[in-house]
Amino acid sequence: MSESDNLEELGREAIARVADAAKSSELDAIDTQYLGRKGALTLQLRKIGSLVPEQRKGFGQAVNDLKEEIQAAIRARREAIAGGETDARLAGEALDVTMPGRFYQIGRPHILAQTLSRIKDIFIRLGYDIVESPEVESYHYNFEALNYPLDHPAIDEQMSFYVTEDRLLRTHTTAYQHRQMEKRKPPIMVCTMGKCYRVEAVDATHGHTFHQVDCFCVDHGITMADLKGTLYQFAVEMFGPDTNVRFRPDFFPFVEPGAEVAVTCSICAGKGCNVCKGSGWLELAGAGMIHPNVLEGAGIDSEEYTGFAFGFGIERMPMVQHGIDDLRLFLDNDLRFLRQL
Amino acid sequence: MKLPIGWLRELIDFDCPPQVLADKLTMAGLEVEEIAQVADEIVFDVKVTPNRGDWLSVLGVARETAPPVGKAVRWPEPAVEGAKPSTSEHISIDIEDPELCGRYVGVVVRGVKIEHSPDWMQTRLIAAGMRPINNIVDITNYVMLELGQPLHAFDLHLLHDGRIIVRKARAGEKITSLDGSARELTQDMLVIADGDRPVAIAGIMGGLDSEISANTRDILIESANFAGTSIRRTSKRLGLVTESSYRFERGVDPSITLIAALRAAELLRDLAGGEVAEGVVDARPAPVEPWRIKTRPQRANAILGIDLTPEVMLRHLNGLQIKTTLEDGVLVSIVPTFRPDITAEIDIIEEIGRASGYENLPLTLPQSHKQGADSPEGLFKDKVRGILMSCGGQEVLTHSLVDSDMTELAGRGDLMIRLHNPLTEDIDSMRAMLTPNLLGVIERNQAYGCSDICIFELGKIYFRTPEGGYDEKLMIAGAVAGNMWRSAWSRPVEALESDFFLCKGVVESLLDALGITDVEFVSAADPVLHPTRSANVLVGGVRIGIIGEASPAFAEAFDLKGRAQVYELDFGALMRYAPEVLKYKALPKYPALHRHIAVVVSDDVKYERLESIITESGKGFIESVELLDVYKGEQIGPRKASLTISMVFRSHEKTLTDEEVNSVLDRVKKILADDLNASIR
Repeated sequence: MSESDNLEELGREAIARVADAAKSSELDAIDTQYLGRKGALTLQLRKIGSLVPEQRKGFGQAVNDLKEEIQAAIRARREAIAGGETDARLAGEALDVTMPGRFYQIGRPHILAQTLSRIKDIFIRLGYDIVESPEVESYHYNFEALNYPLDHPAIDEQMSFYVTEDRLLRTHTTAYQHRQMEKRKPPIMVCTMGKCYRVEAVDATHGHTFHQVDCFCVDHGITMADLKGTLYQFAVEMFGPDTNVRFRPDFFPFVEPGAEVAVTCSICAGKGCNVCKGSGWLELAGAGMIHPNVLEGAGIDSEEYTGFAFGFGIERMPMVQHGIDDLRLFLDNDLRFLRQL
Repeated sequence: MKLPIGWLRELIDFDCPPQVLADKLTMAGLEVEEIAQVADEIVFDVKVTPNRGDWLSVLGVARETAPPVGKAVRWPEPAVEGAKPSTSEHISIDIEDPELCGRYVGVVVRGVKIEHSPDWMQTRLIAAGMRPINNIVDITNYVMLELGQPLHAFDLHLLHDGRIIVRKARAGEKITSLDGSARELTQDMLVIADGDRPVAIAGIMGGLDSEISANTRDILIESANFAGTSIRRTSKRLGLVTESSYRFERGVDPSITLIAALRAAELLRDLAGGEVAEGVVDARPAPVEPWRIKTRPQRANAILGIDLTPEVMLRHLNGLQIKTTLEDGVLVSIVPTFRPDITAEIDIIEEIGRASGYENLPLTLPQSHKQGADSPEGLFKDKVRGILMSCGGQEVLTHSLVDSDMTELAGRGDLMIRLHNPLTEDIDSMRAMLTPNLLGVIERNQAYGCSDICIFELGKIYFRTPEGGYDEKLMIAGAVAGNMWRSAWSRPVEALESDFFLCKGVVESLLDALGITDVEFVSAADPVLHPTRSANVLVGGVRIGIIGEASPAFAEAFDLKGRAQVYELDFGALMRYAPEVLKYKALPKYPALHRHIAVVVSDDVKYERLESIITESGKGFIESVELLDVYKGEQIGPRKASLTISMVFRSHEKTLTDEEVNSVLDRVKKILADDLNASIR
């Protein structure tokens, strides 16, 4: 048997033992036995003196290679054993991840607040200032200043809750317009939102309290086409890019020309369904060019400036969007309802 | 208004299907809300806006149908050959108040036979939503529906002295109207009187005394034009709305008065066998003539945002029977008397827009490049909402119309705003506080089976000011009941069981996150709160709200299961106290040391006192103090409390040694012992 056969044998034996080792302490022993100061390989190296010079270099190289091979095997095995030990420990820490999470019940914004906030964002981007507005209003601002003729049936359409003879709960957010016109100078672009009240018996689709948004714009050269474009822009942002708007004539004393604005039914995409009663359109807003009497009444020269205004109810939007079938749910505050939206 | 299509066809030809016509009318502003089939007839239900009284007739709808279908309206041309004696020999008509009655036409028809009206007429009336009565009444109703002119038929022989006087009621006058009600009249109400007494409430309802009966032979047809405002006031005062008053309020064409009278006479001759008296009496003290309005075409384009030529505008207006010519580049329109809503250039511009079609308006945006901004209140609301939601609060929105009894119970009745005309008694006032509403939400949710509740509302309260004015302001209110866990399996659920301190934790977190400092909680008395478990919330010594457990009276009023905690804070005050920008304080450079002590004191010593003594006596060394535990019981004796307190020691100048900390702690202990008679363990 040559020295090199001997060495090979030794190597096979060491690698096999490393592979069989189950614990890192066994590896320590193998390390000492083969690679230690008195280890088998170290002893082999000492034989080098007995070799002929031309064999020395090759033999030395072979021993060193084997030493590195065994060291690498031990390292690898050591890592494998350590991994196994960690795995065993981690296995013992297993959780049933299907058990429920623990946390306190978190809150959400009220669904109407969510809708109002989306609307607000759109109008701010379109250049409108959001303002606060009173709900207990004077007859003057709610009707007179808005060009409602005295003793005219137009007032009947908005049966009001009165506090005194000349003070009432606003029937529409439009009541803030004149106050703003008196306070500001054109260009004016403002928007307000909040509760409105009308004497109306409560059922699934009616209530004495509802929320409205109202915007108006007064500047040089404002046109009805600007009004239509603005509502189109709003509708697209609010209801999606395929939304269209339909204008048709309508009457509100404070605007002339007046319009009713409808948007593509978002449920059927305009094809016609139950929600839009087959028309493909959902009524959105009342709108129009601010009546010259209203502008003049607030001291704005209606020859120099023109303006538009529009207002709409809020509740309908989440009702259509979320399929809510009863208006009363909004202010009843059943948590089973609020926690869904 | 219900409109049978067959009737419309008598006045105008059109060959489009009903649905197409309905769309055209809707796009012209006369909304067809519903198309129904009634027997053999298609009936439109049209929604007439209050400014367009002229649409309240078949004739009116025919006029609106004309431009889109391109056909002309066939006006009824009643042909009546009268016989002697003439109407004026039977009756005289005097109008005492021309402002309230501009025209009164009377025509006598003799020898009528009272019976049912023919089937075709009954069918039409029913389709139009009216109840057939007898041929005379039916004919007056038929003409009203056809031409828009309300009519009234008197039994000629029941009119005293052969006189009709249109005047205001006299003091103390009464009338029993056709519906059988005895009505007191006031002196501002317009009546139709005979030689002795009122025989009709003008434009609203006739009197029972002069009614058509089975014995009636000769009748007087009234076709008159009354002022809408007067009719409206009387109708409201009497609580009596009729088809007639409805039309007068919205305006009846003063040019149709005579035609309608003759149309009725013609039908009475043909359908009731009557002989029409020669001539009519046409009292017309205040004739209304068409009026002129000038419109600048460029102004019309500037308002509408379109570019029409004056010639196109002219054509549109003439199509609407507004006779218009072009003079020196200006449109001059003669407005027909059936359009009292058109009084100014802007009204003509609307007609131009309507006729050219709103669907043809382009989409543009205002040219100003102004930036928009939220209101300060809106921004602050968003901030508060975010914080309270992160504290587990669900936002609610409650009614502002509330029961005044609840406000009284809350001790806030003084400046409460009451409604003059409440819908029902339980919503007869405006809320003066949010808290009762939140307890109502808890009550309802407990009834629905949900008892773990943490809610808040950002809403207005409304009140009269001591000066006699009215005001409203935003409040932040919240309530907790039950516990706040969504799930806490295998963990102590009590940790988030709602009590005063959990509620206080929410309020403290809110104030802290808003950067509001110098906050105090001072025991308070408030009718909505438990007398010994409530506090005023003070910022800088100023009261900004309340917090506490719902008072037993309130818990009972709302039938609450268990206790509920509430708070209500003044939104405006918080907004003022919250700094706009929070300032950053440098993080500590040196390490902290921790110490615990247990302090046994008399149980009437307020924690706040204890904490401030520790903070003061350890100034410069003690960074923070935290209450860990409170024990009361036998081990420490009666009327004593043991408080376990944790302290963090830290200096901004150097690393503290144990010796330094111990010496400060000794000082703290000594001062606690001296000032509070505390024993330290």
